Amino acid sequence: MCASVKYNSRGPALIPRMKTKHRIYYVTLFSIVLLGLIATGMFQFWPHSIESSGDWSVEKRSVRDVPVVRLPADSPVPERGDLSCRMHTCFDVYRCGFNPKNKIKVYIYPLKKYVGEAGVPVSGTISREYNELLTAISDSDYYTDDITRACLFVPSIDLLNQNSLRVKETAQALAQLSRWDRGTNHLLFNMLPGGPPDYNTALDVPRDRALLAGGGFSTWTYRQGYDVSIPVYSPLSAEVDLPEKGPGPRRYFLLSSQVALHPEYREDLAALQARHGEAVLVLDKCSNLSEGVPAARKRCHEHQAFDYPQVLQEATFCMVLRGARLGQAVLSDVLRAGCVPVIIADSYVLPFSEVLDWKRASVVVPEEKMSDVYSILQSIPRRQIEEMQRQARWFWEAYFQSIKAIALATLQIINDRIYPYAAISYEDWNDPPAVKRGSVSDPLFLPLIPPQSQGFTAIVLTYDRVESLFRVITEVSKVPSLSKLLVVWNNQNKNPPEDSLWPKIRVPLKVVRTAENKLSNRFFPYDEIETEAVLAIDDDIIMLTSDELQFGYEVWREFPDRLVGYPGRLHLWDHEMNKWKYESEWTNEVSMVLTGAAFYHKYFNYLYTYKMPGDIKNWVDAHMNCEDIAMNFLVANVTGKAVIKVTPRKKFKCPECTAIDGLSLDQTHMVERSECINKFASVFGTMPLKVVEHRADPVLYKDDFPEKLKSFPNIGSL
Amino acid sequence: MQLWRRKSLWLALSVSWLLILLRVFPVLRLAEPARRQAGAPQSWPRWLDAELLQSFSQPGELLEDGPQPPQAPRAGSCTRGACFDTSRCRGGGLKVFVYPAVGPISETRRKVLTSIEGSRYHTASAAEACLLVLVLSPDTPPGECHPALPQWAGGKNHLVLGLHPAPCLRIFQLGQAMVAEASPTVDTFRPGFDVALPLLSEAHPLRGGALGRLQQHSPIPGVALIAVAGERGGWYTAGTNFSACPWDGRCEQDHGPKQTHPGVTLPNATFCLIPGRSPDAVHFLQALQAGCIPVLLSPRWELPFSEVIDWTKAAVVADERLPLQVLAALQEMPLTRVLALRQQAQFLWDAYFSSVEKVIHTTLEIIQDRISGASAHPSLLWNSPPGALWALSTFSTSPSDFPFYHLQQGSRPLGRFSALIWVGTPGQPPLKLIQAVAGAQHCAQILVLWSSKKPPPPRWPETAVPLTVLDGHGKASDRFLPYSAISTDAILSLDAHSSLSTSEVDFAFMVWQSFPERMVGFLTWSHFWDEAQGRWGYTGERANEFSMVLTSAAFYHRYYHTLFTHSLPKALRTLADESPPCVDVLMNFLIAAVTKLPPIKVPYGPWHQEARPPPLAPGGPRLGAEPQPAAQDCISQMAAGFGHMPLVSSRLRLDPVLFKDPVSVLRKKYRSLEKP
Repeated sequence: MCASVKYNSRGPALIPRMKTKHRIYYVTLFSIVLLGLIATGMFQFWPHSIESSGDWSVEKRSVRDVPVVRLPADSPVPERGDLSCRMHTCFDVYRCGFNPKNKIKVYIYPLKKYVGEAGVPVSGTISREYNELLTAISDSDYYTDDITRACLFVPSIDLLNQNSLRVKETAQALAQLSRWDRGTNHLLFNMLPGGPPDYNTALDVPRDRALLAGGGFSTWTYRQGYDVSIPVYSPLSAEVDLPEKGPGPRRYFLLSSQVALHPEYREDLAALQARHGEAVLVLDKCSNLSEGVPAARKRCHEHQAFDYPQVLQEATFCMVLRGARLGQAVLSDVLRAGCVPVIIADSYVLPFSEVLDWKRASVVVPEEKMSDVYSILQSIPRRQIEEMQRQARWFWEAYFQSIKAIALATLQIINDRIYPYAAISYEDWNDPPAVKRGSVSDPLFLPLIPPQSQGFTAIVLTYDRVESLFRVITEVSKVPSLSKLLVVWNNQNKNPPEDSLWPKIRVPLKVVRTAENKLSNRFFPYDEIETEAVLAIDDDIIMLTSDELQFGYEVWREFPDRLVGYPGRLHLWDHEMNKWKYESEWTNEVSMVLTGAAFYHKYFNYLYTYKMPGDIKNWVDAHMNCEDIAMNFLVANVTGKAVIKVTPRKKFKCPECTAIDGLSLDQTHMVERSECINKFASVFGTMPLKVVEHRADPVLYKDDFPEKLKSFPNIGSL
Repeated sequence: MQLWRRKSLWLALSVSWLLILLRVFPVLRLAEPARRQAGAPQSWPRWLDAELLQSFSQPGELLEDGPQPPQAPRAGSCTRGACFDTSRCRGGGLKVFVYPAVGPISETRRKVLTSIEGSRYHTASAAEACLLVLVLSPDTPPGECHPALPQWAGGKNHLVLGLHPAPCLRIFQLGQAMVAEASPTVDTFRPGFDVALPLLSEAHPLRGGALGRLQQHSPIPGVALIAVAGERGGWYTAGTNFSACPWDGRCEQDHGPKQTHPGVTLPNATFCLIPGRSPDAVHFLQALQAGCIPVLLSPRWELPFSEVIDWTKAAVVADERLPLQVLAALQEMPLTRVLALRQQAQFLWDAYFSSVEKVIHTTLEIIQDRISGASAHPSLLWNSPPGALWALSTFSTSPSDFPFYHLQQGSRPLGRFSALIWVGTPGQPPLKLIQAVAGAQHCAQILVLWSSKKPPPPRWPETAVPLTVLDGHGKASDRFLPYSAISTDAILSLDAHSSLSTSEVDFAFMVWQSFPERMVGFLTWSHFWDEAQGRWGYTGERANEFSMVLTSAAFYHRYYHTLFTHSLPKALRTLADESPPCVDVLMNFLIAAVTKLPPIKVPYGPWHQEARPPPLAPGGPRLGAEPQPAAQDCISQMAAGFGHMPLVSSRLRLDPVLFKDPVSVLRKKYRSLEKP
């Protein structure tokens, strides 16, 4: 057989024989291979729902395989954008419903490839940046995959660059989206709007009521409070590593790095350079670049070449001039270099101008003032320039540096419009982290002296010292401005004395029984507290006179945002132990007043109960100690202000006691209190207590003046 | 042969099957979990070829877009750059000329004219001005809207101001003029060019103003949560648990316990619901004055001064289509935010809206800010007390240079002070005082303001700190000029006849560092209402309270020199020059008006008073002096000038912690405060 094949293979008679014998063999062989190939191919292109979730939750597949949608030539085109749109006219807020988390829900349409009737694609399927943008939204808290629950819809049709799409067909593609509905609640992202020759400042694609997040809006096309002005992303942000350079004077005062400028601007720049010499550097394209160097990374001045964007770090101010478009990617590079942008583009709506305060990071100069720009910049004080440099870099880090940052800032702005009562504040948007850390906003910032007529509520925390309690009640009730007395009965095993046994006083007396013997009960914001001023007083503080208490209340009225109290204490840094130490000696300084006898605003009860940082509240209840120190930390931390110690009084419990307030002064007590200070300082992450050297006395205290004419004569004993 | 053929056949078979199996198995394995679980969100796919995607812009496209010529302003639309020629304001800054009124003049218009004329930007010459203001009256008949104005020039650099909705604004040929209009509609308002004014009532006071009604920081328990602006300027309050849409009339029956307040009474509630129609804008100011947080339901009008005021801090702008959500959000709003909104609403009322004068001055200040570009007020200065009218941007644009913003900035005032000693007649160099002050721990320099006719001595004693002699001109208000020689935040203002010990200076400066926005002084006066004569009076007698400290020995921030010189009306400063004790009163008025707080008193040794030289020559020593009868009247005149009595009384003195305590003197840091 072998021989015959060999033989036959040489002769022309071979082919007929192949037909009979080998054909079956080859056909089988080929069909098997073909089958294999087909099977392989089939699974390659199997519908993706099966192959989805490469690592169980995330889909992995190719952009080339997305379904193709053919748009008929006569499919509807949306209306042009409606310039009168506002949130309350064009936005369907009902779709956002009420969400307890005050977050809008954003749906992203699945990716499709749109082709015209002739099969020509409408645009490139998706760009890298738009893919990043959609990924960022999808990874955020805003995302929902449930189209019925969504409040905002983001098409996956890539509109970032108008030059890479066909306007009419793209509009048709938008119109056929399943929830389009005239574009209501649809958000479109575009960075490069318009096209030659007239370069519109907003996307030319008809979009009806859709919101547009656009780079390069002018005031004529921007719908205030409806559209969002976004930056033009600079791809150099990801490509080049440019470490932060601290603020301060730099080699060039003013620099221009843009290459495509109108000749008129070039002339102006050349004139500036001629007038101010070295301080001004005007760069242009390099004419003789060697092979392989991307033009985007080099700039030249005459024959000197500079690396871009590194050269921006050599200048204090950098020009951002209008080009064909108002929005320029150079703005992002300039901010990143910590160079203060000088924006010369009349009517340009700056990125995120709805929330960002550009005055703090840039100088906007009208186009007709371009020749004066140098003197305008020169008049800015140095400190302000440094502030602007820092602010510029912070804007870039927070809102420009990645597509994700741009996308999330855009959604946050829209979210804030829909849930204004949960909106992010000016400070959150604009203050760099260093400023946020250092700054304190006093919750009671309005200078206001509350009327004396309102009086105060005394709160006595008690367990079972009834006799001493009654004495305190009797003493406190003599204070003219007392308006109510609240006894917090912290003993669950014993009932408070019967009504008839309580001292008869001129103001209402209420007893509150607590569910658990906890120290924090004294700081609970009880509904019974109707006055703003609260006097916290222990049930054994029997020595405070009525004059002292009344004066304390008067002092509180002048400092309603502070703790105003009688027993003063101090914290000290122990250099040997390298930690904080509690001090109860009679020193020249004060940083705390104990809430065994102190006036404060009732708002701090709310803060103590609901906003105490970390586990301090539980820690205090568990240790049955230091609630007063915790209150001092809390108030000092939110107000940034020191306590006020009133009157010379230093002994509170009994005249014969040598100890300051009868609290045991033994070593363990002091160690525990010091521990509290160290614990709280670590939870707060800082030492908020402020040390002062003054206390408040009546104006005529110890003055040579008739005692009977003094308002508070009974003050002065220790 | 057969063998290899079979072998190759087998090989092919098994290879194909292997291929198939390899392909199928993972798919089978994947297929199951890929079935969509309820609740697991389907996220945006991670494309396998994401790395290969093209960038949105072609290489070089971001650089090389076709250059565009600078655009000319479009017809009919104006921005600051296009229609306002700031170069006319170069040099002297903003200069405002106002067209005088012709014929009979309405009360409101008179207030506006007076306010503009009282502004520090006012000029009487139209040629010198860079902003020309035309005040429209609501009662001008439409036929006479366009008076012939010689300087009109198409409206360039003009501001057409209508404090009340004027029919003229609708038909007026505005040209390139800016419009300052009460509650302009959102659609016609040109941000950054026009100015939105508040809608004031006819009776709005000229100056001083109706005080805010907020008496305490937190809402008073038991007061209604929500008041709703009703028809004809009234308000009605409703219980906390009404749950319907009370503003559109559809749920009339659900109002619950309802109280109607006739007339313009102020609402007494935590939140004030204000519908979005333009006439309702008048409710907005009522709410601010009452310290009631305005809740604006889809306002169709631009909020007043929205260019500079951050209304999100003081008001809630809500969507009128979501009444239930709005109510729920208000009910659940955290106390912290309620407090902040309440206080901010009240602060804004006091700072910008409480009088016609403040509204007008704020308008001019906004335009001045536009002109000054980078040296405009930062947002913080507009939006936190005391407000931009009291924080002059000509002093600094850096908030930490002012005494008011150290907390927000996390900064502190400079830890040293400059002593400024005023020497009047008879012109004795205060050698003892100089030594006492120079010995103070934190003294940075001593400035002697020589205001005597006698020439200053050629030689001064050697001191530990530099001593500079400044030339005074003999006017009492000279001592408050912003001398550039002052290099520290704190100033210790002294008279040649003041007597202070080093210890007193040290302690007072420690106190001042805790209260940099206030005056910290040693000697006090107090003001009182003289019932018999129906006017204000003041006394230097010792009393249980005080409201002024004497500037002959007081610490305060150097910013107050700038404020005193540049923001006070000239008439008041002239008054002070004529009667020297009035300078003290004026400075105290000024600081109290800014801070709304009393000054601070620190202990002052009684032995100084004994050593005080007797009788007082005019312009001479005033230490602890009883104000002279001639000067008594200036407090009334100043109260009139300010429009109200800004002074606040205090009943306390700040002493060292161990002051006069019966403990060993060795323990005490400021022991010489008790005995000389």
